[in-house]
Amino acid sequence: MMESQKSNVVILGIETSCDETSAAVLLNGRDLRSHVISSQITTHQKYGGVVPEIASREHSLHFQPVVQQALNEAKLTFRDLSAIAVTYGPGLVGSLLVGVSGAKAMAYAAGVPLIGINHLEAHIYANFLEHQDLKFPLLALLVSGGHTHLILFEAHGQYTVLGHTRDDAAGEALDKVARTLGLGYPGGPQIQRIAQEGDAQAFNFPRAMLEPGSLDFSFSGMKSAVLNTLNSARMRGETLSVPDIAASFQQAVVDVLVRKALLAIKETRVKTLLLAGGVAANRLLRETLDHKLAEKGVCLVYPSPIFCTDNGAMIATAGYYHYLKGDFAPWTLNAVPGLGLV
Amino acid sequence: MKYLTIDTTTKVTAVALGEDRRLVGEGFLNTTKTHSERIIPMLDQLLTAADWTLQELDMIGVVRGPGSFTGIRIGIATAQGLAQVLKLPLIAVVSLDALAWAGKGRVEDIVPILDARKNEWYTARYNWTRGAEKADCLTPPQAMPIGKWLEYLKGLDRSICFVGDAVEKAKGRIEEVLGERAVILPEYISLPRGAYAVSAVWQRWQETGEGEQVEPYYIRFSEAEVNWAKKEEARRSEGHE
Ligand SMILES: Nc1ncnc2c1ncn2[C@@H]1O[C@H](COP(=O)(O)OP(=O)(O)OP(=O)(O)O)[C@@H](O)[C@H]1O
Ligand SMILES: [Mg+2]
Repeated sequence: MMESQKSNVVILGIETSCDETSAAVLLNGRDLRSHVISSQITTHQKYGGVVPEIASREHSLHFQPVVQQALNEAKLTFRDLSAIAVTYGPGLVGSLLVGVSGAKAMAYAAGVPLIGINHLEAHIYANFLEHQDLKFPLLALLVSGGHTHLILFEAHGQYTVLGHTRDDAAGEALDKVARTLGLGYPGGPQIQRIAQEGDAQAFNFPRAMLEPGSLDFSFSGMKSAVLNTLNSARMRGETLSVPDIAASFQQAVVDVLVRKALLAIKETRVKTLLLAGGVAANRLLRETLDHKLAEKGVCLVYPSPIFCTDNGAMIATAGYYHYLKGDFAPWTLNAVPGLGLV
Repeated sequence: MKYLTIDTTTKVTAVALGEDRRLVGEGFLNTTKTHSERIIPMLDQLLTAADWTLQELDMIGVVRGPGSFTGIRIGIATAQGLAQVLKLPLIAVVSLDALAWAGKGRVEDIVPILDARKNEWYTARYNWTRGAEKADCLTPPQAMPIGKWLEYLKGLDRSICFVGDAVEKAKGRIEEVLGERAVILPEYISLPRGAYAVSAVWQRWQETGEGEQVEPYYIRFSEAEVNWAKKEEARRSEGHE
């Protein structure tokens, strides 16, 4: 069916960096023809977090069916593709290698270019999928399981990291506290859910702002304060309200993220803030920022929750912009587990 | 029938082209680069040099383990990706079965040994009957403590030819235990080769005649699974007391 539409750009996006095997087919950077996500969350749950070797094994089993399903749902074949985009880092090396190896073989056999995608960049590009008219310069707050970055984004592929976490990432802190509270993995959505029944003012956990003017983050002190509070209550034989703890902790995390984002906006005078990464799905964060930024005439943009956590659609979206620049990867492309944004 | 084979179950990247039972071309790299960096460029060079195109292929063969977990997955993902796009049947063989071909024509038992870390080998035992189409498997693939396996082999009172990536390091120890009855081949015969994969894949194709759903063959569970099972076991036995 694509014969008559040769000018169309069709990207197959593949993501296997952590515990989601995902593939998506994207037409012209906007039109998502299919999106398949096979999550391993239930497999890892009994271990309390992602086990790298098990994640790799799961990817190996699900990779091919997931890609095939994405093509089938899009009613396309490999021959209709303009390019195949795949995450090559950062992430778990064994997991990345399944996607990279498979994508390379597919691109080579199909005779289409291969595009290597930085997972962090893709989280940010998730915003371009649903918002056609984003104008540079942009500011991005990337808050995920492994990263908390404030980024000045001045043109496609051009990033300046203004600040980043010095210890735990926001998602990591949420996951750790959730585990201690017995809420299970992944912790962010659990905390959000149970916090609805709690009082966000019940506990006053420290909000580390670091040196005046710093755009860096620190969440480990806040996390330790929660753990200490729980410990000393247990020593006294008291039980604390889990919803209150969750609500107060979520509030503290959001307060820090919001204050730093406002500071970055003030310093850069950028008029649009993009949210990206799994924690960008958090309702309190979105609502608080929405409210604060509206007061300042700054536009807030965030992806639908499904495009916040790891997914193939964001890889295809980032892939589309690389495709337009002719930015292709060699057959020697390797997984780079510690890949940075810049 | 034209096909290509991939073996990335050890540090060696071995790719080969086969036509029926004949080895047509072979790539072997034992360097420090990763499989991921080497494999497609090697395949591409081999096809070009042989004047073959991907479109001429009728089948893809892959070695599915045991061996390096990551290597197994790279080989399978690559083979599956090629087979999926080219719509070709996929055939998978066991690394130790393939290595048995290194000893084709020999009278000794053939014992492939692959480094499994933790003082163990992935191993099995084969014997070639004169004129046979394939080696008989006398001891099936398993992960074995090195000392225990050598003692077992010593007790068999037979001559044994060792092949595989663990041979080079263990030569001395093998000869210490088995003395004259140990046969050690040169490394270029002993390491996984495309030629062996071609023979094993062709043999398997003769048996099955169709493609198959390929899954990695790890032998071992992941450490997390083992530890979890241990904990469960402990929990359950506590409950019984
Ligand atoms: N609704 C939510 N509220 C808060 N946190 C959430 C929510 N949904 C998901 N998260 C958190 O998002 C994180 C997962 O996000 P993501 O998938 O982007 O991270 P990752 O891929 O593991 O890490 P990275 O992208 O940094 O490599 C987890 O820490 C999870 O708890
Ligand atoms: Mg992510």
